[in-house]
Amino acid sequence: MILRAVEDADLITNARKGDVEAFNHLVSRWEKRVFNYLLRLTGRSEDSLDLSQDVFLKAYQNIRKLDDPTRFGPWIFRIAHNEACSMFRKHHLDTSGDAERAEREPAPGVSPEVSIAVNAAMARLTAEQREAVVLKVHEGFKFDEMAEILGCPVSTVKSRLYTALDLMKAELAPVSNRGMR
Amino acid sequence: MNAFEQGECEQSEALRDYAFDELSAAERVAMERHVAACAKCGAELQAIRMTTATLRSIPDREIPQRIAFVSDKLFEPSPMARFFHGLFTSPSRLGFAAACLLAAAIVFSAVQRPAEVRTVVATANAQDVAPLIEAAVQKAVAQIRAGDARVAKTALAAAEVQHRREHSALMVTMQENLDVMQKRMGAYTSLASLETTVGGGGQ
Repeated sequence: MILRAVEDADLITNARKGDVEAFNHLVSRWEKRVFNYLLRLTGRSEDSLDLSQDVFLKAYQNIRKLDDPTRFGPWIFRIAHNEACSMFRKHHLDTSGDAERAEREPAPGVSPEVSIAVNAAMARLTAEQREAVVLKVHEGFKFDEMAEILGCPVSTVKSRLYTALDLMKAELAPVSNRGMR
Repeated sequence: MNAFEQGECEQSEALRDYAFDELSAAERVAMERHVAACAKCGAELQAIRMTTATLRSIPDREIPQRIAFVSDKLFEPSPMARFFHGLFTSPSRLGFAAACLLAAAIVFSAVQRPAEVRTVVATANAQDVAPLIEAAVQKAVAQIRAGDARVAKTALAAAEVQHRREHSALMVTMQENLDVMQKRMGAYTSLASLETTVGGGGQ
């Protein structure tokens, strides 16, 4: 992890000088994470891909404004968060709960029962709660990094996450317990 | 009064912070001791971990299309600029380049050394040179004078021809004028004789 952070810093330094190849290396490291973050927010693969491209384009255009290269992760996810919010506002999408999300195709390599249960549980969360769960559980960000990404205090981030956690514990208890047996 | 004080330690935020590795080292040690001794907290911690494990069991999807940027000449330094930037920002590369240049200059100089040329002037004695120079100078002077003489002769001939033409033209004009005068004299003489004849007969 430390070695990767150093290498990212070198790539960022070169990208800031206009080295497109260095930026492409950076993109190749982060594109899958950004895409999946947006996919879990939107539930739509095509929209997530379009947003991902917009995110990295904005990142390339503003790379010189990144003061601390070690904060590239929260910085790029902050851009992704803003792009997702813009898309939701533009298309007036219902972000409070997406019934279609529960009917999404089960993830490959995972029990259909678990996949459906997780999709259904996530669909019952608010957009803010869902985002907090994705950033903490799937992306592994710390609370201070999540606060930077979401533009809100750490206490707010915790409140959203722990409320979502209580809801999901109840929803996923049956499949979770079955998995333990 | 917090959850611990209320006897609802399993609902405490600290336990959840511990579950998500957000406690400091000291806080983590204290929580581990508590969880080991508290069945409720142990069970709650287990439930949290199972829930997060179930969520994480859904793998990431592969991105359908890789994202890549094409270099834009407007924003990217030219290959030459990048080469020189890399050269001048690295002392070792600069030193190596300087050493290569020096070696190339030495080899080039050795290969391109001009061959020795022998000339008559280089091997002739000083005593033999003076008469040769004198003869060459006199020859050149004679040639120049001959050239000047030819030019002068040609100019003189042209002037003589022009003079003769003018003289001839003048003689012709003078002859014509003389003829005119003779005719007038003849006319006056005839007139005078006629007047004499007429005056003598009247007496």
